[in-house]
Amino acid sequence: MFPGIDGFHWTAGHVVFLSLFFAVVMTIAATVVSAAQRTAHAFRKKRAIEFCWKSDFAELPEAERRCRHELAGRVMSRTCDNAFDCRHCEKYSQFAVLPARGTVHSLGLDYPEDRFYHRGHTWVKPEEGGILTVGLDALAEHVIGCADSVKMPEIGSDLEINETAWRMKKNGNEIRVRAPIEGKVVGIGGPEEGWFLKISPRLSASDPVALRHLLRGPEVYGWISRELERLQMQLRAPDTPPSLADGGVLVPGLMDAVPEANWDNVLAETFLEV
Amino acid sequence: MASAALTDSRWITRGEERTSLSRFLLWLAPWTVLLALGAYAAGLCLYFGLNQTNMDNRFAFGLWIFLDLGIIALGAGAFFTGFLVYILKRAELRPILNTAVVVGFICYSGAVGILGIDVGQPLRFWFTFWHPNTHSMLTEVTFCITCYLLVLCLEYIPILLRNRQLRKLPSFLVFEHQLHKLVPVLAGVGTLLSFFHQGSLGGLYGVLRGRPFAFRQGFFIWPSTFFLFILSAIATGPSFLMLVTATVEKVTGRRLVPQEVFRRLGFISGSLLAIYVAAKSIDTLIWLNVTSPSVGFAPWQYYIYKPFGTPILFVEIVLLGLVPAFLLTYRKTAMRRGWLLSAAVLACAGVLLNRFVLTVQTLAVPTLPFDEFLQYTPSWQEVASFGGVIAYGVIIYSLSYRYLPMFAPSKGENTNVSGD
Amino acid sequence: MSARYGMVIDLDRCTGCGSCMMACASENNVPPLPQATARTGLTPMLVRKASNGMEGGARREVFIPIMCMHCEHETPCVKVCPQQAVEVDKATGIVMQMPQRCLGCRYCMTACPYHARYFNWWDPAWPKGMEKSLNPGVASRMRGVVEKCNMCHARLHTAKEKAAAAGKREIDLADYVPACVEACPTGAIRFGNLADPNDAASKEARSPEAFRLLARIGTEPKVYYKSKEAWVRALAESKSGSVPEVKRVEAGHAEVQHG
Repeated sequence: MFPGIDGFHWTAGHVVFLSLFFAVVMTIAATVVSAAQRTAHAFRKKRAIEFCWKSDFAELPEAERRCRHELAGRVMSRTCDNAFDCRHCEKYSQFAVLPARGTVHSLGLDYPEDRFYHRGHTWVKPEEGGILTVGLDALAEHVIGCADSVKMPEIGSDLEINETAWRMKKNGNEIRVRAPIEGKVVGIGGPEEGWFLKISPRLSASDPVALRHLLRGPEVYGWISRELERLQMQLRAPDTPPSLADGGVLVPGLMDAVPEANWDNVLAETFLEV
Repeated sequence: MASAALTDSRWITRGEERTSLSRFLLWLAPWTVLLALGAYAAGLCLYFGLNQTNMDNRFAFGLWIFLDLGIIALGAGAFFTGFLVYILKRAELRPILNTAVVVGFICYSGAVGILGIDVGQPLRFWFTFWHPNTHSMLTEVTFCITCYLLVLCLEYIPILLRNRQLRKLPSFLVFEHQLHKLVPVLAGVGTLLSFFHQGSLGGLYGVLRGRPFAFRQGFFIWPSTFFLFILSAIATGPSFLMLVTATVEKVTGRRLVPQEVFRRLGFISGSLLAIYVAAKSIDTLIWLNVTSPSVGFAPWQYYIYKPFGTPILFVEIVLLGLVPAFLLTYRKTAMRRGWLLSAAVLACAGVLLNRFVLTVQTLAVPTLPFDEFLQYTPSWQEVASFGGVIAYGVIIYSLSYRYLPMFAPSKGENTNVSGD
Repeated sequence: MSARYGMVIDLDRCTGCGSCMMACASENNVPPLPQATARTGLTPMLVRKASNGMEGGARREVFIPIMCMHCEHETPCVKVCPQQAVEVDKATGIVMQMPQRCLGCRYCMTACPYHARYFNWWDPAWPKGMEKSLNPGVASRMRGVVEKCNMCHARLHTAKEKAAAAGKREIDLADYVPACVEACPTGAIRFGNLADPNDAASKEARSPEAFRLLARIGTEPKVYYKSKEAWVRALAESKSGSVPEVKRVEAGHAEVQHG
């Protein structure tokens, strides 16, 4: 193959052929190396989670990508095309000025007004000193009930928005709770007080868009109503038509109450997993 | 939706319905047996030598080479669909893209596997790379096929990494995303490589001065069979994809791609097939009247042996060439699924017959005046090895269909991930 | 000056005894292969039979020894071998096969117009006691590689050594006699240097009764045949026999001029 190797005769044909071949091999190698390098780069620049979330969001069915403004009754129908990132959504201001429709009925679940809510079913509560507390919302708690095991992040670790904040295991299913906000974990709590994190956010409280992506006030009703409908559809006995249940309260500990349901899928839908 | 005691639903794309695990394993069982039988036959050939086959000094190439050339021709749909979607921007063929990659991967890895046992000294495979002979078409084939198999693996990896559980590892998902962005480069490289190796496979026979039945004149160093093979491969590759998809739809009982995709594939296949038939007819006439007589062989000599008479020419060019070309492009028949699929079967049969004629009939026809027309029947080891390849293909495709988003429309193609 | 070793086989003298085949097998350490068939045997020299197609009293038959023709022009096997395991030795014109480099792909066997290449379908094995008859100057080949006649290249080496020992640059052709030539009882096989116009074999190759098989394919084989019988000379062309006698003879002359 190389000059000097016994029995190999170099000709113009060899030069042409082997140059072409090596050009092709180099191109293929460059592709793989480039992809690997960009992956490493993404991790170094802490953009890996952003890529993953956007990839996952793109794979969610349309029914799970409703714009918050549709849920709030501000628009008739709109699919989010920005991975729920209202902070960087051009249309946000345009819709936000519209009034949120719908009266607040009792959902049978506790959604305090002093908190902000993430589509992945966590709440964010601003505390003193700019710290934020993050916990599971009422629907999530009712679904999971008492977890078999919980794996919280380390204090001092950094969380990216939409990254897996903590994991829970119940009846052999794993639940990955998405972080509603980015920041450093400065405190952990639970199980007696309900699982929560204390986060020192990266964006200061004075930043107007810091919490813009989180649902609040009358928006919450529209969202949770939809979520309850969805849950009901999924947990009904097979071959029964969907029914409009008015009133009634969500049973706590659904996973124990309805063990035969396809929890794999229900949990994925609830916690924005693919 | 009661979950069975043993379930793999975690691994199945959410929103897709798949049959139960036990039924799936039942489906895989006979193919696994066939694969095992094939592996055993291949093992016999590797251990005892090629005397396990019925190949001999006169039929140095047999069933394996014929089927290798056949499946590589049928697997051309992979590179061609990639070329159409990524280079020519024909987005309407996107639904079939994943199938094309997996079918291509199966065909080429199967062919390379068989080639590994077809040579007398498989461990010396690297000699071709270390001592390449640029005059030899087979060197070109070896280089291009190994490179192209690599390209297909790289195109298959993003599909694999989109599995529901595998994508949960951030490094996998980010890598998949980055690799997916570079797929057009791979598609371009794949097109270049495929052009050359499909052609060189034809060139293998067109350069044989000692076999006037196969020998052709051509352009520069490339005999006409070089170009004819490329044409027939790109003409029938889409038809084969159509057949695979239709089979999968039949087996799973659901419509997986829009009917429009079938019509497009059919139209592309039919048009290219028409061009191929024209080129092949011209080439055949030149061969019959000029090339063959110039080396002292009158063409009627080749066709006096039953059943390889002149009807074979008619069957290959008209029945399995012109007829499907017409059916696939003529509006009235192209609109109907039944006609489309029948025509696709004819087209694929045509390319297989063409490869058969060139590999097997070439060796059967006598050259020396005191030679006879020779017979050859493959041994069970040869047949079983190839049966193993088919089983391997079915298993790979079944696993891909069950666990990977093969047909889910990839909603994330144009997601704006800013920054790079 | 480089040589072009070739042969002229007088088909009028060949009796089909097969001594050349035996000598070749013995010289080249070809294993006995009792399990081989007519089409899987290892016969670098193989005697074929042809007839004039008639029956009864008019029937004539001829024996034709076939081995590697050591083609000179666009040597098919050299062109197609993917790893250059065959090459034409410029000094001798012998087409050299390297079994150690052969992958066993058998493409050369498909390419050879004369079917003069043979594959080792089995591991070579000799019955007990037969190993004493092995030729120490020739390496045996392994299973899975192709082999063919190499003009008894080991004997060329011996001739070269002898010449070198005597301080000469050129070998004495009398020292280099391939096994088949030596064994033929009627002297039908003549061997010589076709590049030397004074060489006996070279002169015979240029006689009007000489022909080559499949000459029109254009590979310029260096093994000539000769016969006084016109029907035997007609075997030079394809079965069609469409080429008239005159043109064939002219073609023979044209070939000689070229050679």
